[in-house]
Amino acid sequence: MGQTRNSELGALELGALGLGALGLGALGLVALGVLGALAARGPRASGSNARAATSTPRPAASSWPGLSLPSTHGRSCVDGRVKPGHDGGTPSVKAARRLNTAAGLLATSVLADSAVEHYRGSFNNRAMYTPLVTAALTLAISGHGVGDKRPGAHILRDITYLLAGLTGLAGTGFHFYNVGKRPGGFSWLNLFYGSPLGAPFALLLSGVLGFTAERVRENKPGVTPRIFGLPAGRAMAALTALGMLGTVGEAGLLHFRGAYQNPAMFLPITVPPIASGLLANVAMGSRDTNRWFTRWWLRLTALLGLAGVGFHTYGVSRAMGGWRNWSQNVLDGPPLPAPPSFTGLALAGLAALGLLRDHPDA
Amino acid sequence: MPDRYPGYDVLAKRHTPSWNETTRRVIDQRLAIPREPRFFTEDEWLTLNAVCDRIVPQPASRPPIPVVAMVDDKMIHNKTDGYRNAKLPKMQDAWRRGLRALDEAARTRHGGRFHTISATEQDSLLAKMQRGELDNVAWGDMPCKLFFGERLTHDIVAAYYSHPTSWNEIGFGGPASPRGYVRMGFDRHDPWEPAEAGRHAG
Repeated sequence: MGQTRNSELGALELGALGLGALGLGALGLVALGVLGALAARGPRASGSNARAATSTPRPAASSWPGLSLPSTHGRSCVDGRVKPGHDGGTPSVKAARRLNTAAGLLATSVLADSAVEHYRGSFNNRAMYTPLVTAALTLAISGHGVGDKRPGAHILRDITYLLAGLTGLAGTGFHFYNVGKRPGGFSWLNLFYGSPLGAPFALLLSGVLGFTAERVRENKPGVTPRIFGLPAGRAMAALTALGMLGTVGEAGLLHFRGAYQNPAMFLPITVPPIASGLLANVAMGSRDTNRWFTRWWLRLTALLGLAGVGFHTYGVSRAMGGWRNWSQNVLDGPPLPAPPSFTGLALAGLAALGLLRDHPDA
Repeated sequence: MPDRYPGYDVLAKRHTPSWNETTRRVIDQRLAIPREPRFFTEDEWLTLNAVCDRIVPQPASRPPIPVVAMVDDKMIHNKTDGYRNAKLPKMQDAWRRGLRALDEAARTRHGGRFHTISATEQDSLLAKMQRGELDNVAWGDMPCKLFFGERLTHDIVAAYYSHPTSWNEIGFGGPASPRGYVRMGFDRHDPWEPAEAGRHAG
């Protein structure tokens, strides 16, 4: 009797959790897609000649560089000759939208991760709600950006991404303060078990990527895109290379804490650093190099970020009580939403490569 | 006794993720300990019963924890701690000798067996034992002070607090297996831990 009831309960909880996990994962993609579609249609539908604009058959947008091979077939490489609204917009807009995707993915990771970890911290400090709000806003506004094929920055996106960046900075400060005030200060123990120093960094990166997306989008068609006077493609590559290193530091620290007890734990400290190096080479290397290896390595990194969720799911199942004991093991075990940060950064790197393919001087 | 954890019943965790088959089996065995002497003689049982009533008195408002039966269970299975003070005999021998010596002291000093004399007289004898002032022959070479501190109170209190009823009283979560603790900081607690009455959340 008791046993039956027990296993039923277990199955119920497992089911509920599975749904929750799926929901978290799907949340980002769905939000990006739906909001993007709404944003894309909204402005056009309101105009008087909306019909004329929307009746043109639209080719499938290739804003997922990891999933579809960039193709120059049937369109020009020069901004000026590509009509906005077709095929994902000008190369600048396309790159910007890819950056929006990357920023949105990072925001999703932060949203889920901070929700779980700050729930674990019982929201002891009111400020612990901040990343949830900011990351949700960033996710929503990234969806808007992904769907928006018009050139030119958007004031709300700029404000939101700035807010995300500032929240990430402030969060990093808070986390440093939290670790520093613990007995022993910046000891290994406190770095391991205090507030993770690197976690708010992901939100900062999301904000910076999004803000960069707006700067890329601002470029007038026909000119080589630049950000703050720097060639946009190279700047994006450099930024992504640095962000990747920061994320590697976080994964390296926490996997060291976990004693690399599973060989797969070495993957995030081997694959992304190489991606980072390749991107650094993109940022500083010569103009006419064929970047096929970098492109595929970034795709591998993107895949690794998603596979990480699977590895962490397995990690939770390995803890005592497994998934039935999820209320402890999801919080104490490897963080499920953390690895897709690598996917977000890899997408940003691919966005840089895509822009460079269209604008070799960018 | 005020109820510090109102409504808390650790046994309600039986079918939650906090417990598994092993946890249930261990707790069931503990609750099923026979309430009759198996290791101790009738006389020793009566004496130990009276001692337990003085060391861990229990409220009349709830079913008592069978402390004597739990100590008896420890003896019959010879579940030692794995260590002992070398000046004390082995666990089972120490208990037999100690209870007999205490009964003997009650007869010589108060004219009756330990369980028949008054609570005040019992307390005075236990206090003397604690101070090392009982030296009747039945103690032999066993220091009564050591027996009190490292055997008698040790085993009685351990038995008392290994029972779920006492866990309800002190708000202890019970076995941390399979589900243990996540929020380890000062003044933090997990949702599956009991909440103390009159305390603010946080």
